[in-house]
Amino acid sequence: MIPEKFAVIKDLSRQEILLSLARVPNSSRLFAGGSDGKVYEVDPLAENPEWKTHDGHASFVTGLAIAGQTLVSGSYDQSLIWRKLDSGEVIRRTENAHGKWIRKLAATPDGQRVVSIGDDMICRVWNAEDGGLVHKLHGHDEQTPNHFPSMLYACAISADGQRLATADKVGQIVVWDPARGEKIVTLHAPGFYTWDQKERIHSIGGIRSLAFSPDGQTLIAGGIGRIGNIDHLDGPSRVEMFAWEKAEKLHEFSGDAKGLIEHLCYGPDGTWFVGAGGDNGGLIQLYDPAAKKVVRSDKASMHIHAAALSEDGKKFFAAGHGKLAVWELA
Amino acid sequence: MPAILPTRRQFLGTAAAGAAFAADMTALNCLRSPVLAEELKRNDKRLIVLWLAGGASQLETFDPKPGRATGGPFRAIQTCLPGVQICELLPRLAERLKYTAVIRSLDTGNGDHGGASRLMHLGRRDEPSLKYPDLGAMIARELGRADSQVPDYVSFYTATEGRGNAVGQSGFLGARYNAMFLTEGNTPPNLRRLEEVTDLDHQERADLRRLLSERFARGRASGPLASHNEAYSRVRGLMASEKLFDISQEPQEMRVKYGPTLFGEQCLIARRLVEAGTPYVKVSRAWWDSHGQNFETHLELCSELDYVMSALLDDLHDRGLLKHTLVATLSEFGRTPQINASLGRDHFASAWSVTLSGCGIKRGSLYGKSDDDGNTVVEGKVGAAQVFATIFRALGIDHKKDYHVGSRPVPLTDPGTEPIKEVLA
Repeated sequence: MIPEKFAVIKDLSRQEILLSLARVPNSSRLFAGGSDGKVYEVDPLAENPEWKTHDGHASFVTGLAIAGQTLVSGSYDQSLIWRKLDSGEVIRRTENAHGKWIRKLAATPDGQRVVSIGDDMICRVWNAEDGGLVHKLHGHDEQTPNHFPSMLYACAISADGQRLATADKVGQIVVWDPARGEKIVTLHAPGFYTWDQKERIHSIGGIRSLAFSPDGQTLIAGGIGRIGNIDHLDGPSRVEMFAWEKAEKLHEFSGDAKGLIEHLCYGPDGTWFVGAGGDNGGLIQLYDPAAKKVVRSDKASMHIHAAALSEDGKKFFAAGHGKLAVWELA
Repeated sequence: MPAILPTRRQFLGTAAAGAAFAADMTALNCLRSPVLAEELKRNDKRLIVLWLAGGASQLETFDPKPGRATGGPFRAIQTCLPGVQICELLPRLAERLKYTAVIRSLDTGNGDHGGASRLMHLGRRDEPSLKYPDLGAMIARELGRADSQVPDYVSFYTATEGRGNAVGQSGFLGARYNAMFLTEGNTPPNLRRLEEVTDLDHQERADLRRLLSERFARGRASGPLASHNEAYSRVRGLMASEKLFDISQEPQEMRVKYGPTLFGEQCLIARRLVEAGTPYVKVSRAWWDSHGQNFETHLELCSELDYVMSALLDDLHDRGLLKHTLVATLSEFGRTPQINASLGRDHFASAWSVTLSGCGIKRGSLYGKSDDDGNTVVEGKVGAAQVFATIFRALGIDHKKDYHVGSRPVPLTDPGTEPIKEVLA
């Protein structure tokens, strides 16, 4: 059932820009990665939320993943830090985990594997228990067709842990078998590549978010569409939906709202999904994949960089520019 | 008046008109005397401006603030100069700062694209009653040669955004010093001889014109008349200069050094032009105006700037041209230390950076300082006029020299302006 109610129930201000988010399963305990290189721990639904700080990174913390009892953080400083989930104690550091910025992390549902992606255009699959490298997946070009560095922005793992998707700046999506480290299919979504050859001669778009439907059959990708003025995020939010096994694009959602879709997640029954992000302000949209339309578009109080949906689909947690907020869905 | 690319026929008309205009309005002979030309030929100085249109971020280029809330995600890296760090996005330039003076203390007071661009093109604020020449026109006037076979002032601006702000005006110096302004591709149109006119016909027409002019000039001493003839004498040279814009004339290895982007190609052409004698080339790279996604924008554009500018400096150095050629990175302003809600930085003119490399510069020098967060200048505050005076002095031009508009003396830079002596060789 598509939620009809979508209301902010908590809005916590911060000095930092919060760029990544991980939620401890079946709880409202959150970890958020900051622009100051710190990981913040908080339960925003506590009566008096208390913030706990975990130091360690030297730049933006852009990826967080919980694998079993391990919290892993990844940063533009190219390193991974592995901590005990309960205490925050550092288990190990993986320096130079990537050759360039780490953009995102994900973990398999069984907690056995952690995936990291970076601007070296490599997806790395790690053993969550010992931090060993299991696979290096090469499937994205290092340069754009216009001879500039590309970026590997987004990754997602299917609910059964059998499929992994990665997506880049020029709109290429690769679906992998993370266990075997093999490429299954490559999808092309060039509408996300916002190269402006005439007016400004550069680009700022790309696929920034991915999500598999709960049944694993559908893959959605989010970002921004054709930008009129790339000084700003002045383009329509864009989501494309694929029957990925057939490499078939099912639909393009391009609403009136402007900005990047930085995060996508399906509701538990797969009948709806949320897209969040923004431009200078924030944006949250509800999508109906069956009807192929945006059913609700709200402004958020901050540009949302990362989010998490509760298991029952009734709480939406989001981290963004100077804020962490919680919405209630019903 | 914006500079325009004249057709060959327009060139002939405007050059002659420009000479007459100059005679009336500036009491100058628009095309210099042979004696002065010889002097300048000896100087043989050139200027290449890399115009970072839209406003590059000083924090992501030459004045990083790592570890500060304003610093953003990039690290600072050590350069070849002890104790001097720049943003990690410029690793090649970090190794080449030995050619460069970095000025980190511009406070130009104007955060509007249009006004700030004019300021950084003219070196001073507009005056209603007087149309000032821009930097390129003044350099062309001071370093160009009457007998030159190549254009004196070439300006590339291919992107459309901000092009109107990239001032190209000869002002009171007259049309002779207007830019050859290239906005489409890398080769100037209308330089080629019309197909229906054979080369022999073209030469014979020029000979006939010269014969008639010389007969007319016999017994007449006139500056404008001489200018008129000199302008015509440049036509075939300018037509022949088309090859300078053709990078296929360069070895593949050299083209690879500059890279495959338009900016790279245009910088390679800039080198070809200064090598052939063009005193001023501006290559505009738009568009750095990163209100949204500042870091993604600079990841993209700095990678190109680092690669291309390094290739340009190396190439000029290897050819022995860097001691005669000044390479400047200029912009209309920098960007705010404050990171906005879409991970962007906005316009900021209170503490930003430019660089000067090569000719006349104390290489490997650092001038000025912004505070720890980059909000204000704390040492060595300078404005556009001082930067212009420094450029003039580095090129051996007296920045206090007066032009005359009627009886009014107009110095190259506003009265009282001093160059930044600390960065001059």
